[in-house]
Amino acid sequence: MAFLALNEVAFAYRGQQKRAVAGIDLAFDLDGITAIVGPNGSGKTTLTKLMTGILQPDAGEILLENRTLRSYSLAEIGRRIGYVFQNPEQQLFCATVAEEIGFGLRHQGWGPSAVRERTGFYLDYFELAPYSNIFPLHLSRGEKQRLAIAAVLAGEPGFLIMDEPTAGLDAYRKRLLADYLHKVAGLGRGVVIVSHDTGFVQRVADRIINLENGRIRGERWQRGDSLDAV
Amino acid sequence: MDAVIVQGLSYRYWTDGPVVLNNVSFRVARGEMMAVTGLSGCGKSTLCLCLNGIIPHSRDGAMAGSVLVGGKNTREHKVSSLAFEVGLVFQDPDTQLFAPTVEDEIAFAPENMCMAPGRIRERVDQVIALLGIEELREANPNQLSGGEKHLVALGAVLALDPPVLVLDEVFSGLDDAGRQRVAAVLEELRSQGKTIIAVEHDLESVAFADRMLVLDEGAVSRLDRTEALLADREFLLAGRLLF
Repeated sequence: MAFLALNEVAFAYRGQQKRAVAGIDLAFDLDGITAIVGPNGSGKTTLTKLMTGILQPDAGEILLENRTLRSYSLAEIGRRIGYVFQNPEQQLFCATVAEEIGFGLRHQGWGPSAVRERTGFYLDYFELAPYSNIFPLHLSRGEKQRLAIAAVLAGEPGFLIMDEPTAGLDAYRKRLLADYLHKVAGLGRGVVIVSHDTGFVQRVADRIINLENGRIRGERWQRGDSLDAV
Repeated sequence: MDAVIVQGLSYRYWTDGPVVLNNVSFRVARGEMMAVTGLSGCGKSTLCLCLNGIIPHSRDGAMAGSVLVGGKNTREHKVSSLAFEVGLVFQDPDTQLFAPTVEDEIAFAPENMCMAPGRIRERVDQVIALLGIEELREANPNQLSGGEKHLVALGAVLALDPPVLVLDEVFSGLDDAGRQRVAAVLEELRSQGKTIIAVEHDLESVAFADRMLVLDEGAVSRLDRTEALLADREFLLAGRLLF
């Protein structure tokens, strides 16, 4: 049984005759890193929003742990699937960087010391510790991107979807992210990334799905390179 | 006279805050393309805001030094006046897109500058043709993909035909075809004598720039011919600029 399955999924934005995605049949398990690639406007971001329940398909069905996605609340989906938006500002809202990372944990009932410890780990890993008391929107674009990623990863969701996670990241932080995603996937969590960054995709992805004009045009498997080889 | 002259530029977003730009000085000749790179948080986007006058006119904070664009001191001229000298494409295109259609978006600045209607139409058609986005003419910018939004934001800036273009990660979110298209556009603009300053993390995208400026914690770490800098693998690795 796949963790997340899409069966003949189709979707069109309101007022648009042309479907943004159509005939999507995909299955994702709780392992490995999948990259969804394709030209601008091919439906990649739309597909990820369907996978997280942000959008509802016009046709077809999406199953999460063998239950229709429509039967979950967004909060229930959020506990299972972590989503990093293409624009990090869309998901940053706390007063400080540290609060942003700890927000989800506090709302899941974690105690203060556990929140501090987990927050501290991700502040250090993504080199955000010097900014822990800064207002998130005062950060640079790349710093906001790192913060959004850290805040989602802090909850250690079983499945992670990231839309253009390397946008705004410098080379060094891309390496950190690639390293982290390899570790996450190695711990039995599924990862899906949408990315135009062909170098990053080649480096991390095990499976590459090619989307064009809203339809799957191809799929191939490769072994994502280990960073030890760099 | 050089198109852009930055002399001793320092900036903090608030008076007791950290120094974001630290004594930055450089000149960009007319018709030259200079790439700007560095680790995230090193001051690249802040530098962009200083180049079109948003800093100091729309941001409080402490600015020292000077920025001259087309001979105009950015402290002494309003952003609207500087818009005829320099166009800025923001890192996040959502920040600057607001019209109901792509065509309206590109026409907005010329309309606000009271350009004649016929001239506006001509200019919009030229920009759309240059960018190869005819199929997006009637589209709502809010419904475009991230990469398409970047192209439209570039188009909106090109509409006023400024001599200097400042591009903050304009290649970000573009697919291979989009990157090639933008690179070709920038090459064409450079051949027309435009001065281009492009902030970019992906060094390969800007390998065709004449020179490259590397910022490190707000200060100039190196300013060199692009070819020489990209060949210096030791420097790039030490600066953590290679993936």
